[in-house]
Amino acid sequence: MTCNYTEKVSSLIDGELATGEAREVERHLLNCAECEQLRADFLNLRSEIASFESSLQPTVQNRALKKILDRRAPARRFQWAFGTHAVAFATLLIVSAIIGLILYQTSNSVDPEKQHAAVQTPSPAPESAVQKPSPAESPEPAKEPEAVKEPEPTAAPKDTKEPAAPKRSAPAKRPPAREPKPGEQFASIPVPERLRSGDAETMTAMHFEKAERLLTSFRNVRLNEPGASTSVGYERKRAKELVYQNMMLRREADAAGDVQIASLLENLEPILLDIANLPARPDQDSVRVIRERVERKNIVALLRVNSMALARALD
Amino acid sequence: MASEDEEFTMLFQDFYPSLCRFLECLLGGRAPLAQDLAQESFLQLHRTAWGTLPAGEARFWLYRVARNMAINEFRKSNTRYRLFDRVVEAMRPRARNPEQEYEEQERQTLVLEMLQTLPEDQRAALLLREQEQLSYREIGQVLNVSESKVKVDIFRARAALRERWSKVSGLSRAAGTSH
Repeated sequence: MTCNYTEKVSSLIDGELATGEAREVERHLLNCAECEQLRADFLNLRSEIASFESSLQPTVQNRALKKILDRRAPARRFQWAFGTHAVAFATLLIVSAIIGLILYQTSNSVDPEKQHAAVQTPSPAPESAVQKPSPAESPEPAKEPEAVKEPEPTAAPKDTKEPAAPKRSAPAKRPPAREPKPGEQFASIPVPERLRSGDAETMTAMHFEKAERLLTSFRNVRLNEPGASTSVGYERKRAKELVYQNMMLRREADAAGDVQIASLLENLEPILLDIANLPARPDQDSVRVIRERVERKNIVALLRVNSMALARALD
Repeated sequence: MASEDEEFTMLFQDFYPSLCRFLECLLGGRAPLAQDLAQESFLQLHRTAWGTLPAGEARFWLYRVARNMAINEFRKSNTRYRLFDRVVEAMRPRARNPEQEYEEQERQTLVLEMLQTLPEDQRAALLLREQEQLSYREIGQVLNVSESKVKVDIFRARAALRERWSKVSGLSRAAGTSH
């Protein structure tokens, strides 16, 4: 097949050439024996292929038609073309996804719930808050401090005073100045998830340093000057920031069984709260009361010693 | 509903045999499989597309679906069907003159064998042209290719078949003279 017209011969016998082109090819065929033979062979092939007889029997055809029409009713009802296997597989996937979600939620919700519940206790000293309401008031707050501190798991609701009281070193010594300042503005603060011990110690050391600086600064506030309230503004702000961290670190120390650090943080917490809750223009007496408590408890020195000890341990 | 069924029955009677033949040639003569696939194509048409297709499109839709099914069958292991087809073929009733029947059978087998030497897309295009008399545009629609590809495929298929045909007939002529 050397002639350039061979492909056109194929199109010619299919009637796919335009009139002018078809005439041209027809004229070529008169002069080209090769293309003429090609056309004859192509037509011969066509007749062979077209005369192929299917082995289809009429009975098979009728049966096929009947089968299709009989399947019409369910086919119209269910437009899905999926088989039962596909539906079963999809169901299995959905069920496993739901189970996985439930498992994931339960595994993740244990600690955050406890933490959140602990933070929601209205004051930094949860025992005193638990002691006051009756057991029937709300079961959750009474239960959750137990979960965090778990002194005695068998404690009955009425006995909640007893197990909580001996745990703390001196809860009764809390100054009355704390009582009207429950620190409710801190109740909904989300607490980050439990720290690793190394991180906790670093943060505690840094926290002690900051608290020491704050208390030193607070001690140096000049009360006789008329602008005392403005000079306390910085301490109030810092105290608010430190209260959150103090709560978290105290819980961490409690959980880790570090009694010394926990006790120091526990003593520090009401002082921080009192400073944070000072009014915009505090009177001199309020500031003096807090100062005296700081001095009495020797908090600044304790903070310094502990922060240095922690820093040495970390080094 | 009755008129829908009547229309569908008419379409089925018109095109089921030719669809079976197309599939049989495409599959290399596996008649039972071809009939199953043709039936499945009509069933799918009836279930999913019947009533939504524009008039005149159903035929092309059927050939497209049937051809896709045939391609899937090529990919599967087909030993089972070959064996079954041979059994069916051996049990076919033969009413005509045995000699004539034999010759015709031989010729059909030869056509099928030669068609099987072509690539699938060329074979499908040629069958749709020679047996179903579809235009290049319609073939392109069925096979989802351009008209120019259809034209080239058909030409190449013919050229290849012609060459093989001449060899086979030459061999058969030589065999006839040697007798």
